[in-house]
Order: sequence, then C-alpha cells, then structure tokens
Amino acid sequence: MIEVKNVYFSYNGVSDVLKDISLRIDKGIIGIVGPNGSGKTTFLKVASLLYKPRKGRVLVDGIDFWNLDVSKRISIKRKIVYVHEKPILIRGSVVDNLIYGLLLRGVDRDKALKRAVDCLKQMEVEYLLEKSAKNLSAGESQLVSLARAFVLDPQFLFLDEPLANLDFKKRKNVLCFLRRLADNRTVIVIATHDQLIASTYAEKVVHIEEGRVVRVGKPDDVLTF
Amino acid sequence: MYSEIIEISFRSLLISSAATLMALSWSLPISYMISSRQSRLGKMIVSISNALVSVPTVIVGLFLYMLFSRKGPLSVVGLLYTPQAIVLGESLLITPLLISLFHDVFNEYRSKYWEMAISLGATFSQAAALVVREAMPRLVTVSLIGFGRAIGELGVALMVGGNIKGYTRVLTTSIALEVSKGEFEEALMLGFILLGIVFTIVVAVRLMNRVLER
Repeated sequence: MIEVKNVYFSYNGVSDVLKDISLRIDKGIIGIVGPNGSGKTTFLKVASLLYKPRKGRVLVDGIDFWNLDVSKRISIKRKIVYVHEKPILIRGSVVDNLIYGLLLRGVDRDKALKRAVDCLKQMEVEYLLEKSAKNLSAGESQLVSLARAFVLDPQFLFLDEPLANLDFKKRKNVLCFLRRLADNRTVIVIATHDQLIASTYAEKVVHIEEGRVVRVGKPDDVLTF
Repeated sequence: MYSEIIEISFRSLLISSAATLMALSWSLPISYMISSRQSRLGKMIVSISNALVSVPTVIVGLFLYMLFSRKGPLSVVGLLYTPQAIVLGESLLITPLLISLFHDVFNEYRSKYWEMAISLGATFSQAAALVVREAMPRLVTVSLIGFGRAIGELGVALMVGGNIKGYTRVLTTSIALEVSKGEFEEALMLGFILLGIVFTIVVAVRLMNRVLER
C-alpha cells in the first residue's frame, strides 16, 4: 500500500502545486480526475516516488520512502512504475524498449525477450515486435510505452493519460489488459480527462482541483457530484 | 617532398586527435555534472565557456607562450616548441566550445530520458548511462566540431610549436610557411589535404551516426 500523507509539492519553491494532499493507494484501479493544471500529473509523480515532496510523507507498505538511505530506496522504487503522458522511447527496436526495464533488474536477456513477446501477444500488438522505435506512430509509441511498463509486472502502476493517442479497439485492449493486471493484484492509478473511463473501470475516483483533493469515493458519487 | 607532406599530415592528425581526446576527457564529465546539478558554479562555468567559444587562437597561443617561455612560470617543464605543447594548447582552445555544446546536449537528453529511466527502476548510474547512450550521436558530432577547430587552427601551433621541420610542423603552419615563401602551389596542395582529412572524418562520423541512430 502507498500512503500519501499531508503532501505539499512545489516546482519553484514559491507556490505549491500540491497542497496538503492525503490519499491511500491500496487496491484495484484508481482514477484521478480534474481539470488541466489541477496537479494530477504532479500527484502521480509524487505518489510514484519520482518527486520528493516539499512537506509531508509518502509511505510504501508503512515505510517512509524519503527517510530511507539512498541505497535502500531502489528495491522499493522497483515495485512502482510510472508511465509518462507523452511516450519517451529509447533508440533501437521495440524489443529493446520492452526489455530495458527487465535488464535493469538483472533479468536474463533470453527470459526478458520471452516476457516481452508474451506481453505484446496479450495486448494483441505482436506486429510491433520487429519495428524500429523511431518508425512508430503516436498510438504505437503509446502502446510500446505501456507495454514496457506492463512487462515489469509492477506492484503499483501509475499511468498518465494512457489512452490519449489510441483508437477505440486499442483502448479496449489496453483497458482489458489493465483489468487483468488489477485482478492479478497490481494496483493501478490512472490520471485521465475521460470521465467515462474513470466511471467504467475505476473502483475509486479522486477528484483534484487546484492541488487539493476535493472528492474521493466511488465513481458514481464523485463524477455525478 | 611527398614523404614530408605525408609526415606532416600524419603529425597534424595525431596532434589534433590527441588534443581532442584530452579535451573530451575533462569536458564530458564537467558538462554532465553541470547539467545534472544545476548549481550556480555550473551556470558560471557555462557562461564563461560561452564567452570563450570564439577566443582567437593566437590569444591562447600567446598565453601558453608566456607560461612556457624561458622567463615564464612553467619554463621548467620544457614544453615550448614541442608537439605536446600544441596538444595542450589545442585542447585548451576547444574546451570552452566542447563544454558549451555538450552542456546543451546533456540538458536536452537529460530532461527527456533521466526521469523515464528512473520511472522504470533505473539507479542513478543506470539512468546516467541511458542519457549518454541516447545522446551519443550528438556527442560524436560535437566532438567532431572540436576536432575540426583543433586541426584547422594556426595560432597555437605556430606560437608554442614553432613550426620546426620534422618535429612540430603541421599542415596549417606548413601552409603559412609556403605562402610566406611565395610557393602557392605547395600551399594549395597542403590546403586540399587538410580539407580532405576534415571532409573524410565528417563523412565517416555521419555514417557512424546513421548506424547509431537506427
């Protein structure tokens, strides 16, 4: 479980983008909704341990992450994966991208390749396998960026607008895949503008406005407010 | 005569390559550290480097001449009129250019790849390795620009090298000498050789970059 407790975050040290945010991230799919500039992405980055809060704590399974020794952080950090809104792919093939995170974790190259292929098959996009990363369309880049996170089988998965560039069929495939991951105990947090997705797939929805949590609850309670 | 031209060409290549490698050995880590730490000192180093990018080569040559001449503070090392002095001079000459351009490259690639690598579970050193890997084609191009400035400069080679035949004579100092003697044909031939070397290296690096970018 990740617990964000009374967190403040500022990019410039002057004005806070997140103001006294507290949230439990414990199970299922959690939707983060809110207008542009409300702090959704920043919240995701703080909760996924990419950004250190100015004030407040982020606890992972009860351990205060930012109070840990730098050398001890990596094992906790590797339980959590964040996927950027704009896909950032490395030079090389789709496979190179997919196995990157696995190789970082010391997984054998052959095993990593097998997992990458399996993941693409499950997402029904195995045709991407042989492609070069620089020749992908925006939607395909997004799929590879997502697959690169899925293949790591993380305990917590933070996705920033994961369906932005995808067509209807690919959206459906990704959402089905996310549902399977969530059923398999991965906790998924999705920042989205799409209230339909939040209402259909999330078990809990968090509405953020001006850096504060204004409502938390079941989709029907939060989104029809 | 041809054997002398070949010898001069090889010496030019060797000296400028050594100078570029030497400048790379400190410019790369300094630039990376500056872009990763964003400190006030780093910003100051970049500002000074930007200001010194187009410093005249004779100024660097004069500065080193004063250091290494018989009355200079570093006369005991006996570097004046040696190939090593040209290597040192050229490496100092291209350092501001390399720091300035490497800093821009690292800033661009770090902002893009560092956070992505960390978000996928990279340690700081793994993330740094990814940034360097992704930036490699651009880093190679910048190194080539540095090499181009080193092999094409005249002021440093003339002032601290002395244009000694068979020892410190390089292509640029030879061209200057031939022109001063009125031997324009020889000067032109040496000029074409210099152009040929630079052109060949540019083409080779472009081809290598194409392979790297795949």
